[in-house]
Parts: sequence; C-alpha cells; structure tokens
Amino acid sequence: MTDYRIPLFLLTAVFAVWAVMARKLLTSAIMLALVSVAVSLIFFGFNAPWAGVFELSVCAGLITVLFVSAVSLVRTVEEKFPENRARFHALPLALAIFAIAAWFYLPPFFTELAGWARPGTGGGTIGLALWDMRRPDLLGQVLMLAAGVFVIKSVFPRRTENK
Amino acid sequence: MDKGLLAYLLIPLFAAVIIPFASRYRAKLADIIANVTLLAGLANLAWLVLRPSMIAGDFADIPGDGFSLLLVAAIYLVALCVTFFSAYFMEEGTPNRPAYYSLLMVSVAAMTGVVTTSDFFTLYVFIEVLAVTSFALITTDESAKGIEGALKYFFLTFPASALIIVGLSILLLTLGSLSFENLRIFMASDIPSGPVTLGAALLLLGFVIKSGVVPFHTWTPDAYQGAYAPVSAHLAGIVTKISGVYAIIKMATLLRFFDGRAQGLSEMLMFLGLLSIAVGALAALRQKDMKRMLAFSSISQIGYIVLAAGLGTPLAIMGAVFHLINHATFKTVLYLNSASLEKAAGTTDMDKLGGMEHAMPWTSWTSVVALLSTAGVPPLSGFWSKLLIILALWEAGLKTYAVLALLFSIVTLAYFMVMQRKVFFGLKSKAAEAAQEVSAPLLTPVVLLSAVIVALGLLFPYFYTYVKVVAERILL
Repeated sequence: MTDYRIPLFLLTAVFAVWAVMARKLLTSAIMLALVSVAVSLIFFGFNAPWAGVFELSVCAGLITVLFVSAVSLVRTVEEKFPENRARFHALPLALAIFAIAAWFYLPPFFTELAGWARPGTGGGTIGLALWDMRRPDLLGQVLMLAAGVFVIKSVFPRRTENK
Repeated sequence: MDKGLLAYLLIPLFAAVIIPFASRYRAKLADIIANVTLLAGLANLAWLVLRPSMIAGDFADIPGDGFSLLLVAAIYLVALCVTFFSAYFMEEGTPNRPAYYSLLMVSVAAMTGVVTTSDFFTLYVFIEVLAVTSFALITTDESAKGIEGALKYFFLTFPASALIIVGLSILLLTLGSLSFENLRIFMASDIPSGPVTLGAALLLLGFVIKSGVVPFHTWTPDAYQGAYAPVSAHLAGIVTKISGVYAIIKMATLLRFFDGRAQGLSEMLMFLGLLSIAVGALAALRQKDMKRMLAFSSISQIGYIVLAAGLGTPLAIMGAVFHLINHATFKTVLYLNSASLEKAAGTTDMDKLGGMEHAMPWTSWTSVVALLSTAGVPPLSGFWSKLLIILALWEAGLKTYAVLALLFSIVTLAYFMVMQRKVFFGLKSKAAEAAQEVSAPLLTPVVLLSAVIVALGLLFPYFYTYVKVVAERILL
C-alpha cells in the first residue's frame, strides 16, 4: 500500500474535513470540488478512466458551478446569522480516533478482502456497459432526474409565495 | 428486470411528466391523470390475475415469480386510494399541486422498479429515488413539523444508504456481479462464503434502518406524524414497506441459500423482529396522538414481518408476504381515517377527541374493521397472516417466539381498543359536536380498502393458493 495513491487518499480526507469545518459556504463548495478532483485522480490511478472523467466533469465541474452560483445568491443572508459552531469542535477528535483505528485495522482488512476478489463480468466499452449490461440502472437514473425536477417544482413555488 | 411488468413502471413515469403540462390551465387535470393512470394499471392487473381460467388453474400461469405482481398490485391499490383521497383533501389553489401528483407518480414508478428488479445495484438506485421523492412529499403542506419530519427521515435513512453501498461494493468485489441469481449460484457452490456474508449483513443492516425496525425506529414516528396527512398514509402504507421490508424479505429468501452459513444473520433478524413487536406495541399503548400511535403500531407490525422473514421457512415467507400486503391495506385505512379526523375535528390528539362516532360513523366503523384486522381477529385478513407466522414459528420449534408473538397480538388489540374508545366511543367531546362526517369521496378509498380487508379474509383459500405459488417459486 506504499505508493503514490496514499497522499491522494490523505488529501481527500483533509479536503473533506475542511469542507465540513469551513466557516464560509463558498470555501465549503470549493473544498468539495477539490475532494472530487482528488477522487478522480484516484480513479485514474486505479485504471478507471471513465469513472475519473465523470467525477471530474460532473462533480468537480458542473456541481461546483451550481454551488458557487447558489452561494453567491444567499451570501447576504448567511452573513447576518452566523451559525453556532461549538458542536464542530468535537469532529477533529472523533476523526483522530477513527484515523488511528483505521491505520491498524483497514490495511489488513483490505489485503484480506483482496484475496477473496473475483474478476468482474464487466469489460468492454462504456456504451456496452450502459446499454447492454446496466440498462435498468439507466431507467433508474431517468427516474432520479424526474424526481429531482419535481422536488424543485414542489419546493420552490411555495417559497416565493410565502414572501 | 421483469420485462412483463416494465409497463407498470414506464406509464406512471410518463404520467408524471405529462401532469405539469396538462394541468397548466386546469389544475383538476392533475388529479384526473394520476387517478386514471393508477386505476387503469389496477384494472389491467386484475385482468391478469383474476381471470376465471387463472383461478381455475390454481394460478399456475402467473408470469414471473408472482411476488412482484402481487406487490405491484398492492402499490397501485394504496397509491390509487392516496391520490383519490388527496384529490378531495387538498385545498383548492395549492401552488405545488401538479408537482405533488408528479412526485406520487414517480414514487409509484420507483416502487415498481424496486419490486421488479433482479439486481442489487438497480434495487439501490430505485430505493434512492424513493427516498428523494418521500423527502419532498413529507413537506407538502410546508408545516414546521413536516420539515422536521423530513429532515429526520433524511438524516437517518441516508446513513442506511451508505451502509447499503458499502455492502454492495463488498458483494461486487467478491461475487463479480450483483444479480440475485449470481449470489444464489455462488452460495450453492462449495466456495467458502467469507466476505459475502459480511456484505449481506451490511445490506441487511441498511434495509433494517430503512424499514424502521427497533432500535433504528426513531425516525418513523416523527416523519409519519409531521408528514402531510395523505402522505403519511402513502409512506406508512406502502413506501417504507417496499424500500425496507420488501428488501429484507428478498434478502431472507436469498439467505436460505447460504445453507446455514449465515445462521447468525437470520437469528439476529428474528431477534430484532421480536424486539420491534414488543417495543412498538408497548410504546403505542402510551401515545396521546393518534398518528404517532399508528406509527408505533407500524413498527410493531413490521416486527412480525421481519420475524417471519428471519425464520425463512416457506410457511414463514408466505406469512411475511401476506402480512406485508395486509399491513399495506389496514394501515392505509387507519392513516386516511386519521387524516379525515384532522380535517373534520382539526386535531389528532386523542385526549381532545371523543365521541366522534356520532358525528363520523363511517370513519369510526372502517377504523374498527382495520384495527380488528391488525390485531388478528378472525375472519379478517390479518388473522390469517398472523396465524401463518405463528404456525411457522411453532413448527420450527421456536415455541417461545411463537407464544410471545401471540401475546403481543393481544397487546395490539389493547392499544387499538384504547384508541377506539378515546377517539370514537364515549361521551361527545367539544370537537365531536362541531365535527361533521367527511364527504363521500373521502370515504370511498377507506370503504374500498375495508372491503378488501374483509374479502381477503373471507376468500382466504383462493389467496392462499396464490401465495403458495409465490412461495414455491421464490424458494425453489
């Protein structure tokens, strides 16, 4: 497990914690984008270029643009009501305990799990995977998209009407 | 994916997309499209299953494993009752009316996807769609309690999703594929099970949280109590049954192929089931709010299903499937009645209600039918499913479990009797004097479902033949 991926894993963890602990929403959004960048690099490292490309373009690109534009809209309200941050101070402690435990237990766990691994039935092009092997999931994605649109339609008319 | 049932997924999705456009100028069209879609689906299902030739042939020609078909019918039935009820319950001019029906249709499509899939990952995707739609549906009436309930639902069911996805990745690593069939083949071979059991355990833990089994039940009372009234019927009646309990039954039927290697998992499921029965029933005795009491009753009834699923013998699986269907019918009746009470008397606090029977006889007597069925009083449908479960436990030599399950069935009767006395019987309260019976369209769904409860009980031999076919197909 001593290779160039370890710093990437550590970076991912650091960015993720930073995203939760950040005082400003904008910093959180940027840190989240950096998490995605690190994760997509890990994907490339593990020979999953398609997953890496999707992670980079959708999560680090598109979602961040949405977040940043939304944050710039709500910024004025946020500055008026600073949140109570006391409960966040327990987070680094909990993380340290988890990290120490993980250091001892997770590597042997994954080494053992790797011994059980069996080759997947996958392979082939992304088109083959999407259209032939995982067609029902595609249907699920369509449903998820529809659900997202209707959730927004259901939540927003009221918010404008309340004003 | 069961191809024959794909239309039951695609048509509601199509309806969901059409509703916002069609109802732009006439809001009523949203209700009509939703109701007609579901009614047509139900009629088609009835034609598939209830043809005389089908009944005469002991349901041998049922397509697929029959289990999916039965659940799709339950989904459509409950959803039809909820949409029909909402059409008259919802106030005119609610701004998000089309989106509400679209979300209901998407959730019907997602539930159909859950019950027809044959792959763990697809199951997960559809369950997530269901979680997203439920989250928005709970907040439909924009009350503070609704938002609190939705947030609790969100914070407690999404860790469950995380557990499921970790379990899935372990299964994918060790099995190479995520289809149910592959797991079955793998377990039938002599390869040591190893991490597959761990993956299955994580999946089960996720589903147990999603179905609100004790000790992971804390989100259910708040979500059901705070939700928009018809939505709590939809959630308690069918959504949590499909997104959690159905998956547990499915896993339990697969666990049988572990051939004793996952004995611990099955025993744990049975223990959690019994714990749910006990905690849910005892907590329900002490509730003051009717919707909250019904939520605890749900926890208790889900316990019976999980207990039977954990046992996993063919008779127990039959009992579990039948109790799932029964629970969908009687819990929907009770929740819709609580919504009617809320509309007529303005509260569901049981101390403030009383003597409502004089004002609302129909609501009162349909509640009586539903609660007697829940408590397992013959000849209603709930009696047969509980009988099957208790018989299966006794046959497997688990006599303590059988006796306890029977005893808590009496506690069920007790808390429902307390509810009925406090709300409907007794002296007329202030709320009862001002209240009036709700309109006939609001009563239609509950009367229909009460008729289903009575019919399922009286026509049990036919239904038993069907459920037996199902149990044979999913276990052999």
